[in-house]
Amino acid sequence: MTDVTLPPLAQGVDKANVSYWHHNVGDAIKEGEDLVELVTDKATFNLPAPISGVLKEVLVSEGDAVKVGQTLAKIG
Amino acid sequence: MQNDNFPAWLKKRLIANQDLFETKEILSALKVNTVCESSLCPNLNECFSRRFATFLILGNVCTRSCGFCSVLKDSPGAVDPDEPARIVEAVKRLGLKYVVITSVTRDDLADGGAGQFVKVIEQIKKISTSVKIEVLIPDFNGEGYLADRVIGSRPDIVGHNIETVERLYPLVRPGAGYERSLALLRAVRSRSAGTVTKSGIMLGLGETDDEVIGALNDIRSTGCDIVTIGQYLRPGQYNLPVKRFVDPQKFTRYKLIGEEIGFKYVASGPFVRSSYFADVYSAAVGLDIKERSYKPKESRHDRCDIAASGSGR
Repeated sequence: MTDVTLPPLAQGVDKANVSYWHHNVGDAIKEGEDLVELVTDKATFNLPAPISGVLKEVLVSEGDAVKVGQTLAKIG
Repeated sequence: MQNDNFPAWLKKRLIANQDLFETKEILSALKVNTVCESSLCPNLNECFSRRFATFLILGNVCTRSCGFCSVLKDSPGAVDPDEPARIVEAVKRLGLKYVVITSVTRDDLADGGAGQFVKVIEQIKKISTSVKIEVLIPDFNGEGYLADRVIGSRPDIVGHNIETVERLYPLVRPGAGYERSLALLRAVRSRSAGTVTKSGIMLGLGETDDEVIGALNDIRSTGCDIVTIGQYLRPGQYNLPVKRFVDPQKFTRYKLIGEEIGFKYVASGPFVRSSYFADVYSAAVGLDIKERSYKPKESRHDRCDIAASGSGR
């Protein structure tokens, strides 16, 4: 099982808001495919899946604020 | 969290490969400032993932209060004599063959910080003659002899950003001057014919299309070779609001206009910044950039947004 975490951003930017999950739990997903859309003060970002697998768990909901390093999902 | 209801096209991949973490570690360990971090640049993850960073020298506190900028405004401390050596070490550890150096504005210093630019350039040249050096200099309060000192250390590219159209200067760049900045670009060109010159503007601060085209013509009239055009993004609630989000088609139009009026290279797109893919821009105007000593790890996540935005290579 691989954790999908919010990677480091610029210094002082320690959080982002989850705006959209591109996949649901149970979906097969390929490495590099857009997994979740996040918004910071500066822009909107798509976080790609770090590995191929099945999206096992989604730990945060659309609208949630998440911190750098926080686990957002698990892919197995 | 404030945001300006970003349009659909204002979206990037959030890249997170091993090189991103290593670049962050190297810069942090060496206490080297980057404009990437200080400006909260949205391209940071992408650039750090190719082990590319733009060094911010003369500390990280600025004496100006530009409305668009998130760099701390206060009284800066003394110039750090060890800063050039730390920059050189970062160049080595990152394996850079193309180095971009900019600074905060230091109106408190008699030389405006020109001496520190010279020291950094000279020390980088000591470790490698093949490394290309681009400097993005402040306006030195219009003192041409200070710019001459920097030019005299023979950087390959000298940039100075106009940042916005003339009408918006009092709002966007108080303490600076549109004509002063154009004069600086003109002076760099006239005093060093072989040096590539570069400037940049941000869109979305309230400028009109005609004013943008006017600014491009003004920049080109200095003999400037490269211009970058990007979308202003508000770094924080105390900065100027975004007045408009310019769509990618309009950026492409500005690129074509820039090429028509004679720029050798125009980088134009929502995420374009003056040092974003600076090595690519410089190669496009014929600068011979040696292959990097460090090979970034392949990542299928990597994507060049200047190409995606139609501002191409």
